[in-house]
Amino acid sequence: MSRQDVAADRVLSLTLKFGAYTAFALIVAGLLLQLAVPWGAKVAAAGLLVLLATPVLRIVVACLQFLREHDFKYALVSFGVLAIVVLAYVLGVQA
Amino acid sequence: MTLAAMLLLVAIGFCAGGFGALAGVGGGIIVTPLLAIYFGLPMHQAIGVTLLCVIATSTATSSMYVERHVTDVRLGMTLELATTVGALIAALVAHHINRRTLAVLFACFLLYSAGSMIRKAWDSRHAKREEVIPDYTPQNYPAGLAASLIAGGFSGLLGIGGGPIKVPVMLLFMKVPLRVAAATSNFMIGVTAATSAYVYWGRGDVRVDIAAPLVAGVFAGSLLGARISPKIRAFYILMLLVCIAGWLAAQMIYKLLTGGFQ
Repeated sequence: MSRQDVAADRVLSLTLKFGAYTAFALIVAGLLLQLAVPWGAKVAAAGLLVLLATPVLRIVVACLQFLREHDFKYALVSFGVLAIVVLAYVLGVQA
Repeated sequence: MTLAAMLLLVAIGFCAGGFGALAGVGGGIIVTPLLAIYFGLPMHQAIGVTLLCVIATSTATSSMYVERHVTDVRLGMTLELATTVGALIAALVAHHINRRTLAVLFACFLLYSAGSMIRKAWDSRHAKREEVIPDYTPQNYPAGLAASLIAGGFSGLLGIGGGPIKVPVMLLFMKVPLRVAAATSNFMIGVTAATSAYVYWGRGDVRVDIAAPLVAGVFAGSLLGARISPKIRAFYILMLLVCIAGWLAAQMIYKLLTGGFQ
């Protein structure tokens, strides 16, 4: 494994952690707030939305990493996956 | 929702996430039947909520696998081209499948998963851990892509991750080492589940009041589980999961025979 790949793994791992902990914190805060105030449920829902956005973020980050390494083949593959996921989002909103 | 129900959901999520991370299997397969049988959720809603749990497990555990350089991001991304297409098609089709048919399919998948966990548990008794990952080049991409399409389809239809389908194919046909196959499958599962989750969310099949406490539990459980997993033998946890899966399958079949899941 090249040094670039090791660095890319670190950035990707940090992205995943950032998404996971942000979503976790918002959901827990929302659940606790929900016991006191009615808008607590909205904070929890925001946490779930962060959770739903994290997979997209990880594709974008991987795609950018591939571009930086001039690995255009896999940048294109990542872009293809991103296109399908965005299509699912668009179809989901319309449904 | 009462406080007791909320705490129960957190506990269920914690067990599913923890056992899943410890045994290296998705804990999602026990969440859907629990919600459908004991919380009376319609199958589509139970599946929608489980998809969020699957994303949570994948995100929490794969951050650690990626950090340890066990995940093959290139391989994962390539196979995701197929899993996402399968998941999208299946999520669109799932809406038109009635609840009883979904329950029958799910019960079959539970039994299949129980079988594959028994085999995995048996292998884990003798197999040594691969400490150093051997050099490899993934082979037979057509087989991998075909299996990924099917795994993605099951994911969108039943809300599961699809690991029991992808991992054996990566191992046997693509000649990828087991640890890499498991970590890569885990990485892919989040993206696959998100694809179908958008469709379920758009239809209103994701109940926020139920998903929030479950996901909180799953996060806590899988973060803890992934941290202590190297120190624990998977055998007993796998056997426990086999018992739970078997029990839930029996409950689902009983409910189906007595006219449930309408």
